[in-house]
Amino acid sequence: MSGFAAPVLGTVVLFGLSATLAVSLAFLLAAGSLGRSRPARAGAQTLITLTRGVPTSLLVVAAGVGVIGHPPPAWLPSPFPGTSAGMALVAWAVTIGLAFGSTGHFAVIFRTGYHAISPARREQVAVLGLGRARRLRLLVGEAAESTLAPFGARLVHHLHNTAFAALFPVADLLGWVQQRASETFLVSRYVAIGVAVYVILSFLVWAVCRGIEYRIAHRATPGLRPLSRVAT
Amino acid sequence: MSDLLWNLLFGLPDQRPGGLLLSVLSAVAAGVAAVLVGLVYATVCVARPAISLCLQAPLAILRGTPLLLLIFALAQVTGLPLVLTGFLALTLYSLSHVGETLRSYLAAYPRGLREQARLLTLSPVQEWLRLRVPWTFRRSVDALGTHWVSLLKDTGALTILGIGELTTVARMLGEHATTSRWALVLGTASALYLAAVLVLMRLLAFLKVRLTGREAQLT
Repeated sequence: MSGFAAPVLGTVVLFGLSATLAVSLAFLLAAGSLGRSRPARAGAQTLITLTRGVPTSLLVVAAGVGVIGHPPPAWLPSPFPGTSAGMALVAWAVTIGLAFGSTGHFAVIFRTGYHAISPARREQVAVLGLGRARRLRLLVGEAAESTLAPFGARLVHHLHNTAFAALFPVADLLGWVQQRASETFLVSRYVAIGVAVYVILSFLVWAVCRGIEYRIAHRATPGLRPLSRVAT
Repeated sequence: MSDLLWNLLFGLPDQRPGGLLLSVLSAVAAGVAAVLVGLVYATVCVARPAISLCLQAPLAILRGTPLLLLIFALAQVTGLPLVLTGFLALTLYSLSHVGETLRSYLAAYPRGLREQARLLTLSPVQEWLRLRVPWTFRRSVDALGTHWVSLLKDTGALTILGIGELTTVARMLGEHATTSRWALVLGTASALYLAAVLVLMRLLAFLKVRLTGREAQLT
């Protein structure tokens, strides 16, 4: 079990950073594809199609292979536990590849959630006289109920995709399982540990999403309640 | 350029069939096998709800396991040839998703249709084959289609076995290339995946129209 914490943390950090980046980009792409400007819509739609059509494996391979021969710049932070400082650039490239692999899927989920809000409800939000941030929060709250289930499912898929980091010298859980299995020949034991940790992490992601879903449905703060409860 | 395209489409000279052809063949074979086994699984779950939990639990664990880990585990444990290991891993992975989809739709089969089958004096096997299975497929084609698109892209995970499907070929050709050559290799591989996914989506849309039209004729 030596060195077990670092690869698990490595997976968690890879997941956290890449998921945050993917969700941020997805927001931008979803907003772009819903915007008034035709070039912005076309650009956003092209990027969504590209990132949904190309496998994450290829994106990660492309990112990793592209930078593996280059040393990391001195200013680049290395928040990846268990990964050597010399591989920080590869780890960041893998993170970006993983993020692109999910961006299009998240963008479509967000856009579908927006479309699930009826036009009358959207107009209500527009005429409430709220600031842009407050309006966005209301719309997010309104769309969240229909969005969180597919969002959670995609997050779990995203967590599983972090295993592609094992293709490079970046510390992650699958890499640890492979290494320990080949060092000790106790394949079943280390595979079972790997499966157990991935299942637990997947369950945690699912539970957090369900918790947020529950909180949104039962929120008591008037300003943050879904619009269906504010407006009626 | 034509050599590159040829290698990406059909694999490296010593690893044919490979490339996109192997990716598509793997996805089709695993998808078909998963649907066939999934139908048996769904039938057992619907016919014998008491034992369905014993079947659903392993499938739930399988769904929580990354495909890469599954491939690695099977490669280490089974000792099968690598292509067969990849096929088995993709089938199990696909089954964990398809099985549940088919089970839920098979369970949702309407009571009215069951009564119609009784009036037509169809045996339970005839009803299953001629009414229930086609109805389940018509209803689940959207969900199955989404999964098949995902499965085609997930064949990229077979790169961990190094069996020469599209991602592996792109990786091998890109590893020791110059930056411009690397961009060309990976850009072409991405375009091939994208084209394959778009063709599959068109086929699924066509299949959906056919199935919906057939259902409209029947009703």
